Amino acid sequence: MTLYRPGDSVWHRLPAGPKTVILAVLVLAVSLLPLGWGWPAAAIPAVLCLGCYAVPAIGMRRLASQLFAARWIILVTLAGQLLFLGPTAAAVNTTRVAAVIVIAGLLSLTTRVTALLDAFERGLTPLERLHVDPRRVALLLAVTLNTLPVLARAAAQVREAQRARGVRPSLRLFAVPFLVLALKHADELGDTLTARGIR
Amino acid sequence: MSVLELDAVHVRLGDAHVLRELTLSLDARTTAIIGENGSGKSTIARLVGGLVRATSGTVRVLGLDPVREAAELRRRVAVVFSNPDAQIVMPTVAEDVAFSLRRRNTSRSERVSAALDRFGLSALAERSSHELSGGQKQLLALCGAFVRDPELVIADEPTAYLDARNARRVADHLFSDGGHRLLLVTHDLDLARRCEQAVFVAGGDAVAVGDPADVVAEYERSLVW
Repeated sequence: MTLYRPGDSVWHRLPAGPKTVILAVLVLAVSLLPLGWGWPAAAIPAVLCLGCYAVPAIGMRRLASQLFAARWIILVTLAGQLLFLGPTAAAVNTTRVAAVIVIAGLLSLTTRVTALLDAFERGLTPLERLHVDPRRVALLLAVTLNTLPVLARAAAQVREAQRARGVRPSLRLFAVPFLVLALKHADELGDTLTARGIR
Repeated sequence: MSVLELDAVHVRLGDAHVLRELTLSLDARTTAIIGENGSGKSTIARLVGGLVRATSGTVRVLGLDPVREAAELRRRVAVVFSNPDAQIVMPTVAEDVAFSLRRRNTSRSERVSAALDRFGLSALAERSSHELSGGQKQLLALCGAFVRDPELVIADEPTAYLDARNARRVADHLFSDGGHRLLLVTHDLDLARRCEQAVFVAGGDAVAVGDPADVVAEYERSLVW
Protein backbone atom coordinates (compact mmCIF):
# COMPACT_ATOMS: atom_id res chain seq x y z
CA MET A 1 0.00 0.00 0.00
CA THR A 2 1.48 3.32 -1.08
CA LEU A 3 1.69 5.97 1.58
CA TYR A 4 0.19 9.40 1.01
CA ARG A 5 2.55 11.83 -0.70
CA PRO A 6 1.63 15.50 -0.33
CA GLY A 7 1.17 17.41 -3.56
CA ASP A 8 -1.04 19.70 -5.61
CA SER A 9 -2.01 17.48 -8.55
CA VAL A 10 -5.51 17.24 -9.94
CA TRP A 11 -5.86 13.93 -8.08
CA HIS A 12 -4.82 15.59 -4.81
CA ARG A 13 -7.41 18.32 -5.30
CA LEU A 14 -10.28 15.93 -6.01
CA PRO A 15 -12.44 15.25 -2.93
CA ALA A 16 -11.93 11.75 -1.51
CA GLY A 17 -15.47 10.50 -2.24
CA PRO A 18 -15.67 11.30 -5.98
CA LYS A 19 -12.04 10.23 -6.40
CA THR A 20 -12.79 6.83 -4.86
CA VAL A 21 -15.74 6.39 -7.22
CA ILE A 22 -13.76 7.45 -10.32
CA LEU A 23 -10.84 5.15 -9.51
CA ALA A 24 -13.18 2.27 -8.63
CA VAL A 25 -14.92 2.66 -12.01
CA LEU A 26 -11.55 2.69 -13.82
CA VAL A 27 -10.39 -0.40 -11.92
CA LEU A 28 -13.66 -2.17 -12.68
CA ALA A 29 -13.48 -1.21 -16.37
CA VAL A 30 -9.92 -2.55 -16.66
CA SER A 31 -10.88 -5.77 -14.87
CA LEU A 32 -13.87 -6.38 -17.13
CA LEU A 33 -12.11 -5.88 -20.48
CA PRO A 34 -12.77 -9.02 -22.51
CA LEU A 35 -9.70 -11.19 -23.02
CA GLY A 36 -10.93 -11.93 -26.54
CA TRP A 37 -10.02 -8.40 -27.60
CA GLY A 38 -6.37 -9.48 -27.73
CA TRP A 39 -3.71 -6.76 -27.62
CA PRO A 40 -6.15 -3.84 -27.32
CA ALA A 41 -7.17 -5.37 -23.97
CA ALA A 42 -3.56 -4.74 -22.85
CA ALA A 43 -3.13 -1.39 -24.60
CA ILE A 44 -6.24 0.21 -23.08
CA PRO A 45 -5.19 -0.36 -19.43
CA ALA A 46 -1.65 0.77 -20.23
CA VAL A 47 -2.91 3.99 -21.81
CA LEU A 48 -5.28 4.55 -18.89
CA CYS A 49 -2.38 4.19 -16.44
CA LEU A 50 -0.24 6.61 -18.37
CA GLY A 51 -3.15 9.03 -18.55
CA CYS A 52 -3.80 8.86 -14.82
CA TYR A 53 -0.17 9.47 -13.89
CA ALA A 54 0.73 11.95 -16.66
CA VAL A 55 -0.45 14.94 -14.67
CA PRO A 56 1.67 17.65 -13.08
CA ALA A 57 2.97 16.78 -9.58
CA ILE A 58 2.53 13.01 -10.12
CA GLY A 59 4.41 12.03 -13.27
CA MET A 60 6.05 8.99 -14.80
CA ARG A 61 8.66 8.59 -12.06
CA ARG A 62 5.89 7.98 -9.55
CA LEU A 63 4.31 5.46 -11.93
CA ALA A 64 7.66 3.69 -12.25
CA SER A 65 8.10 3.52 -8.47
CA GLN A 66 4.56 2.17 -8.06
CA LEU A 67 5.27 -0.55 -10.63
CA PHE A 68 8.58 -1.34 -8.94
CA ALA A 69 6.85 -1.68 -5.58
CA ALA A 70 4.43 -4.18 -7.13
CA ARG A 71 7.14 -6.01 -9.10
CA TRP A 72 6.82 -9.36 -7.33
CA ILE A 73 3.06 -9.55 -7.82
CA ILE A 74 3.53 -8.61 -11.48
CA LEU A 75 6.31 -11.16 -12.00
CA VAL A 76 4.44 -13.99 -10.29
CA THR A 77 1.32 -13.20 -12.32
CA LEU A 78 3.32 -13.11 -15.53
CA ALA A 79 5.08 -16.42 -14.80
CA GLY A 80 1.85 -18.22 -13.95
CA GLN A 81 0.02 -16.90 -16.99
CA LEU A 82 2.91 -17.69 -19.33
CA LEU A 83 2.98 -21.23 -18.04
CA PHE A 84 -0.72 -21.94 -18.45
CA LEU A 85 -2.13 -19.50 -21.02
CA GLY A 86 0.61 -18.53 -23.45
CA PRO A 87 2.32 -15.20 -24.23
CA THR A 88 -0.60 -13.09 -25.52
CA ALA A 89 -2.96 -13.89 -22.69
CA ALA A 90 -0.09 -13.55 -20.20
CA ALA A 91 0.81 -10.09 -21.46
CA VAL A 92 -2.81 -8.95 -21.50
CA ASN A 93 -3.65 -10.25 -18.04
CA THR A 94 -0.41 -9.08 -16.45
CA THR A 95 -0.87 -5.60 -17.90
CA ARG A 96 -4.38 -5.53 -16.50
CA VAL A 97 -3.22 -6.66 -13.05
CA ALA A 98 -0.42 -4.07 -13.05
CA ALA A 99 -2.85 -1.38 -14.21
CA VAL A 100 -5.37 -2.22 -11.50
CA ILE A 101 -2.67 -2.03 -8.81
CA VAL A 102 -1.24 1.31 -9.88
CA ILE A 103 -4.61 2.93 -10.60
CA ALA A 104 -5.91 1.84 -7.18
CA GLY A 105 -2.60 3.04 -5.68
CA LEU A 106 -3.46 6.59 -6.79
CA LEU A 107 -6.10 6.72 -4.07
CA SER A 108 -3.71 6.22 -1.15
CA LEU A 109 -0.97 8.16 -2.93
CA THR A 110 -3.06 11.31 -3.22
CA THR A 111 -5.54 11.07 -0.34
CA ARG A 112 -4.95 11.50 3.37
CA VAL A 113 -6.31 8.61 5.42
CA THR A 114 -8.37 11.05 7.49
CA ALA A 115 -10.04 12.32 4.29
CA LEU A 116 -10.66 8.72 3.22
CA LEU A 117 -12.18 7.94 6.61
CA ASP A 118 -14.52 10.91 6.32
CA ALA A 119 -15.51 9.81 2.79
CA PHE A 120 -16.10 6.21 3.86
CA GLU A 121 -18.18 7.39 6.80
CA ARG A 122 -20.32 9.53 4.54
CA GLY A 123 -20.59 6.79 1.92
CA LEU A 124 -21.61 4.16 4.44
CA THR A 125 -24.15 6.36 6.24
CA PRO A 126 -27.16 4.74 4.44
CA LEU A 127 -26.11 1.43 6.01
CA GLU A 128 -26.97 2.84 9.44
CA ARG A 129 -30.52 1.63 8.77
CA LEU A 130 -29.10 -1.89 8.75
CA HIS A 131 -27.41 -1.21 12.13
CA VAL A 132 -23.97 -0.85 10.51
CA ASP A 133 -21.89 1.84 12.25
CA PRO A 134 -20.04 3.72 9.44
CA ARG A 135 -17.53 5.23 11.86
CA ARG A 136 -16.61 1.82 13.12
CA VAL A 137 -16.17 0.39 9.62
CA ALA A 138 -14.06 3.36 8.50
CA LEU A 139 -11.89 3.12 11.60
CA LEU A 140 -11.49 -0.62 11.11
CA LEU A 141 -10.12 0.01 7.61
CA ALA A 142 -7.67 2.65 8.84
CA VAL A 143 -6.45 0.57 11.77
CA THR A 144 -6.03 -2.50 9.54
CA LEU A 145 -3.87 -0.56 7.08
CA ASN A 146 -1.83 0.94 9.86
CA THR A 147 -1.27 -2.34 11.65
CA LEU A 148 0.48 -3.97 8.69
CA PRO A 149 3.90 -2.33 9.28
CA VAL A 150 3.66 -3.10 13.01
CA LEU A 151 3.04 -6.79 12.31
CA ALA A 152 5.84 -6.86 9.73
CA ARG A 153 8.20 -5.47 12.38
CA ALA A 154 6.96 -8.00 14.94
CA ALA A 155 7.65 -10.82 12.48
CA ALA A 156 11.19 -9.50 11.92
CA GLN A 157 11.73 -9.29 15.70
CA VAL A 158 10.65 -12.91 16.17
CA ARG A 159 12.98 -14.11 13.39
CA GLU A 160 15.91 -12.08 14.79
CA ALA A 161 15.33 -13.34 18.34
CA GLN A 162 15.24 -16.93 17.10
CA ARG A 163 18.39 -16.48 15.01
CA ALA A 164 20.13 -14.94 18.04
CA ARG A 165 19.32 -18.07 20.02
CA GLY A 166 20.36 -20.39 17.22
CA VAL A 167 16.86 -21.69 16.54
CA ARG A 168 16.36 -23.23 13.10
CA PRO A 169 13.50 -21.59 11.18
CA SER A 170 10.19 -23.41 11.46
CA LEU A 171 6.61 -22.32 10.94
CA ARG A 172 5.45 -23.59 14.34
CA LEU A 173 8.27 -21.89 16.26
CA PHE A 174 7.61 -18.68 14.37
CA ALA A 175 3.82 -18.70 14.58
CA VAL A 176 3.42 -18.97 18.35
CA PRO A 177 5.56 -15.96 19.44
CA PHE A 178 4.31 -13.96 16.46
CA LEU A 179 0.72 -14.63 17.46
CA VAL A 180 1.48 -13.64 21.06
CA LEU A 181 3.06 -10.36 19.90
CA ALA A 182 0.14 -9.69 17.55
CA LEU A 183 -2.42 -10.29 20.31
CA LYS A 184 -0.42 -8.12 22.74
CA HIS A 185 -0.38 -5.35 20.14
CA ALA A 186 -4.13 -5.75 19.62
CA ASP A 187 -4.67 -5.39 23.38
CA GLU A 188 -2.51 -2.28 23.61
CA LEU A 189 -4.07 -0.75 20.51
CA GLY A 190 -7.52 -1.38 21.99
CA ASP A 191 -6.47 0.54 25.11
CA THR A 192 -5.09 3.36 22.97
CA LEU A 193 -8.31 3.65 20.98
CA THR A 194 -10.38 3.63 24.16
CA ALA A 195 -8.12 6.25 25.72
CA ARG A 196 -8.46 8.40 22.60
CA GLY A 197 -12.21 8.38 22.86
CA ILE A 198 -13.14 5.50 20.52
CA ARG A 199 -15.51 2.97 22.05
CA MET B 1 -11.56 19.42 43.20
CA SER B 2 -9.61 16.21 43.79
CA VAL B 3 -7.82 14.67 40.85
CA LEU B 4 -8.55 11.21 42.13
CA GLU B 5 -10.63 9.69 44.90
CA LEU B 6 -10.48 5.94 45.48
CA ASP B 7 -12.58 4.50 48.28
CA ALA B 8 -12.02 0.84 49.22
CA VAL B 9 -11.32 -0.04 45.61
CA HIS B 10 -10.74 -3.69 44.86
CA VAL B 11 -9.68 -4.89 41.42
CA ARG B 12 -9.61 -8.55 40.59
CA LEU B 13 -8.28 -9.70 37.22
CA GLY B 14 -8.88 -13.41 36.78
CA ASP B 15 -7.67 -15.03 39.98
CA ALA B 16 -5.32 -12.18 40.86
CA HIS B 17 -6.31 -9.50 43.38
CA VAL B 18 -4.43 -6.61 41.80
CA LEU B 19 -5.73 -3.81 44.05
CA ARG B 20 -6.89 -4.56 47.60
CA GLU B 21 -9.35 -2.20 49.29
CA LEU B 22 -7.29 0.77 48.15
CA THR B 23 -8.31 4.13 49.55
CA LEU B 24 -6.53 7.14 48.16
CA SER B 25 -7.16 10.83 47.65
CA LEU B 26 -4.88 12.83 45.35
CA ASP B 27 -5.13 16.54 44.68
CA ALA B 28 -1.63 17.70 43.70
CA ARG B 29 -0.98 19.01 40.19
CA THR B 30 1.64 16.34 39.60
CA THR B 31 1.59 12.95 41.30
CA ALA B 32 3.98 10.02 40.85
CA ILE B 33 3.04 6.42 41.50
CA ILE B 34 6.01 4.18 42.18
CA GLY B 35 6.45 0.56 43.16
CA GLU B 36 7.80 -2.75 41.97
CA ASN B 37 6.59 -4.63 38.90
CA GLY B 38 3.24 -6.24 39.65
CA SER B 39 2.53 -3.97 42.61
CA GLY B 40 -0.64 -2.59 40.99
CA LYS B 41 0.55 0.86 39.93
CA SER B 42 -0.29 0.41 36.24
CA THR B 43 -3.70 -0.91 37.26
CA ILE B 44 -4.30 2.35 39.13
CA ALA B 45 -3.43 4.25 35.94
CA ARG B 46 -5.76 2.04 33.87
CA LEU B 47 -8.51 2.40 36.47
CA VAL B 48 -8.20 6.18 36.39
CA GLY B 49 -8.15 6.14 32.59
CA GLY B 50 -11.35 4.08 32.53
CA LEU B 51 -9.60 1.08 30.98
CA VAL B 52 -10.21 -1.23 33.95
CA ARG B 53 -13.33 -1.49 36.11
CA ALA B 54 -13.19 -1.74 39.87
CA THR B 55 -14.54 -5.03 41.19
CA SER B 56 -15.81 -3.12 44.21
CA GLY B 57 -15.40 0.31 45.76
CA THR B 58 -15.82 3.82 44.44
CA VAL B 59 -13.68 5.62 41.88
CA ARG B 60 -13.91 9.33 41.10
CA VAL B 61 -11.61 11.00 38.57
CA LEU B 62 -11.96 14.79 38.41
CA GLY B 63 -15.28 14.16 40.15
CA LEU B 64 -16.44 11.76 37.40
CA ASP B 65 -17.41 8.11 37.55
CA PRO B 66 -15.14 6.48 34.91
CA VAL B 67 -17.81 3.89 34.01
CA ARG B 68 -21.04 5.92 34.00
CA GLU B 69 -19.45 9.12 32.70
CA ALA B 70 -16.96 7.51 30.33
CA ALA B 71 -17.55 9.90 27.43
CA GLU B 72 -16.95 12.96 29.61
CA LEU B 73 -13.87 11.29 31.10
CA ARG B 74 -12.42 10.68 27.61
CA ARG B 75 -12.94 14.34 26.80
CA ARG B 76 -11.07 15.55 29.87
CA VAL B 77 -8.47 12.85 30.44
CA ALA B 78 -5.64 11.66 28.16
CA VAL B 79 -3.57 8.52 28.62
CA VAL B 80 -0.02 7.93 27.41
CA PHE B 81 1.43 4.42 27.49
CA SER B 82 4.99 3.14 27.49
CA ASN B 83 5.01 1.39 24.10
CA PRO B 84 5.05 4.09 21.41
CA ASP B 85 4.24 1.62 18.60
CA ALA B 86 0.91 0.69 20.13
CA GLN B 87 -0.20 4.31 20.34
CA ILE B 88 -0.03 5.11 16.64
CA VAL B 89 -3.34 4.81 14.86
CA MET B 90 -2.81 6.74 11.63
CA PRO B 91 -0.13 6.40 8.95
CA THR B 92 1.35 9.89 9.01
CA VAL B 93 2.38 12.11 11.91
CA ALA B 94 -0.09 14.92 11.20
CA GLU B 95 -2.95 12.48 10.63
CA ASP B 96 -2.25 10.68 13.87
CA VAL B 97 -2.43 13.93 15.83
CA ALA B 98 -5.60 14.95 13.94
CA PHE B 99 -7.17 11.59 14.86
CA SER B 100 -7.35 12.74 18.49
CA LEU B 101 -9.66 15.57 17.42
CA ARG B 102 -11.80 13.38 15.18
CA ARG B 103 -14.89 13.46 17.35
CA ARG B 104 -14.68 17.16 18.11
CA ASN B 105 -16.32 20.00 16.32
CA THR B 106 -13.21 22.07 16.17
CA SER B 107 -10.82 23.53 13.63
CA ARG B 108 -8.54 20.54 13.35
CA SER B 109 -5.71 21.77 11.13
CA GLU B 110 -4.82 24.83 13.22
CA ARG B 111 -4.75 22.89 16.46
CA VAL B 112 -2.75 20.08 14.87
CA SER B 113 -0.18 22.55 13.50
CA ALA B 114 0.14 24.25 16.87
CA ALA B 115 0.57 20.93 18.67
CA LEU B 116 3.15 19.65 16.18
CA ASP B 117 5.05 22.89 16.60
CA ARG B 118 4.96 22.63 20.38
CA PHE B 119 6.40 19.11 20.30
CA GLY B 120 9.01 19.88 17.64
CA LEU B 121 7.34 17.59 15.09
CA SER B 122 6.38 20.13 12.41
CA ALA B 123 9.17 19.06 10.08
CA LEU B 124 7.98 15.46 10.36
CA ALA B 125 4.28 16.20 9.78
CA GLU B 126 4.03 14.26 6.50
CA ARG B 127 6.40 11.46 7.51
CA SER B 128 5.20 7.92 8.05
CA SER B 129 4.49 7.49 11.77
CA HIS B 130 6.08 4.05 11.76
CA GLU B 131 9.36 5.33 10.34
CA LEU B 132 9.98 7.58 13.36
CA SER B 133 12.53 6.76 16.06
CA GLY B 134 11.26 5.52 19.43
CA GLY B 135 11.71 8.97 20.97
CA GLN B 136 9.89 10.69 18.12
CA LYS B 137 7.06 8.16 18.35
CA GLN B 138 6.63 8.84 22.05
CA LEU B 139 6.63 12.60 21.37
CA LEU B 140 3.94 11.91 18.77
CA ALA B 141 1.92 9.98 21.36
CA LEU B 142 2.25 12.92 23.76
CA CYS B 143 1.32 15.34 20.99
CA GLY B 144 -1.80 13.25 20.25
CA ALA B 145 -2.71 13.41 23.93
CA PHE B 146 -1.99 17.10 24.49
CA VAL B 147 -3.72 18.35 21.32
CA ARG B 148 -7.01 17.68 23.09
CA ASP B 149 -6.06 20.06 25.94
CA PRO B 150 -6.79 17.45 28.63
CA GLU B 151 -7.31 18.45 32.24
CA LEU B 152 -5.52 15.31 33.41
CA VAL B 153 -2.72 13.38 31.69
CA ILE B 154 -2.10 9.83 32.85
CA ALA B 155 1.33 8.60 31.79
CA ASP B 156 2.15 4.95 32.38
CA GLU B 157 5.94 4.58 32.26
CA PRO B 158 6.21 7.00 29.32
CA THR B 159 10.01 6.97 29.31
CA ALA B 160 10.51 3.21 29.66
CA TYR B 161 11.58 2.66 26.03
CA LEU B 162 13.61 5.85 25.63
CA ASP B 163 17.25 6.92 25.86
CA ALA B 164 18.26 9.63 28.34
CA ARG B 165 17.91 12.54 25.91
CA ASN B 166 14.46 11.53 24.68
CA ALA B 167 13.34 10.60 28.19
CA ARG B 168 14.23 14.11 29.32
CA ARG B 169 12.37 15.71 26.39
CA VAL B 170 9.26 13.64 27.10
CA ALA B 171 9.46 14.41 30.82
CA ASP B 172 9.86 18.14 30.18
CA HIS B 173 6.67 18.12 28.13
CA LEU B 174 4.81 16.16 30.79
CA PHE B 175 5.90 18.57 33.51
CA SER B 176 5.34 21.71 31.43
CA ASP B 177 2.83 24.07 32.95
CA GLY B 178 0.15 23.72 30.29
CA GLY B 179 -2.73 23.85 32.73
CA HIS B 180 -3.00 20.07 32.97
CA ARG B 181 -2.59 17.77 35.93
CA LEU B 182 -0.30 14.78 35.72
CA LEU B 183 -0.56 11.28 37.13
CA LEU B 184 2.74 9.59 36.37
CA VAL B 185 3.43 5.89 36.85
CA THR B 186 7.17 5.45 36.75
CA HIS B 187 10.20 3.41 37.74
CA ASP B 188 12.37 6.50 37.29
CA LEU B 189 12.81 7.83 40.81
CA ASP B 190 14.29 11.11 39.58
CA LEU B 191 11.05 11.75 37.69
CA ALA B 192 9.07 10.81 40.80
CA ARG B 193 11.04 13.38 42.80
CA ARG B 194 10.02 16.09 40.30
CA CYS B 195 6.36 15.59 41.24
CA GLU B 196 4.53 17.48 43.99
CA GLN B 197 3.16 14.29 45.52
CA ALA B 198 4.10 10.59 45.35
CA VAL B 199 2.42 7.28 46.15
CA PHE B 200 4.33 4.08 46.90
CA VAL B 201 2.26 1.05 45.95
CA ALA B 202 3.02 -2.50 47.08
CA GLY B 203 0.84 -5.59 47.02
CA GLY B 204 -2.10 -3.67 45.58
CA ASP B 205 -2.23 -1.11 48.37
CA ALA B 206 -0.76 2.35 49.01
CA VAL B 207 2.10 1.95 51.46
CA ALA B 208 3.09 5.61 51.57
CA VAL B 209 1.59 8.85 50.26
CA GLY B 210 3.06 12.32 50.56
CA ASP B 211 6.18 14.30 49.84
CA PRO B 212 8.08 12.65 46.95
CA ALA B 213 11.44 12.75 48.73
CA ASP B 214 10.03 10.87 51.74
CA VAL B 215 8.01 8.42 49.66
CA VAL B 216 10.96 7.63 47.36
CA ALA B 217 13.20 7.15 50.41
CA GLU B 218 10.71 4.69 51.87
CA TYR B 219 10.54 2.84 48.55
CA GLU B 220 14.34 2.67 48.41
CA ARG B 221 14.46 1.28 51.95
CA SER B 222 12.05 -1.44 50.87
CA LEU B 223 14.49 -2.46 48.14
CA VAL B 224 17.26 -3.33 50.65
CA TRP B 225 17.58 -7.08 50.99
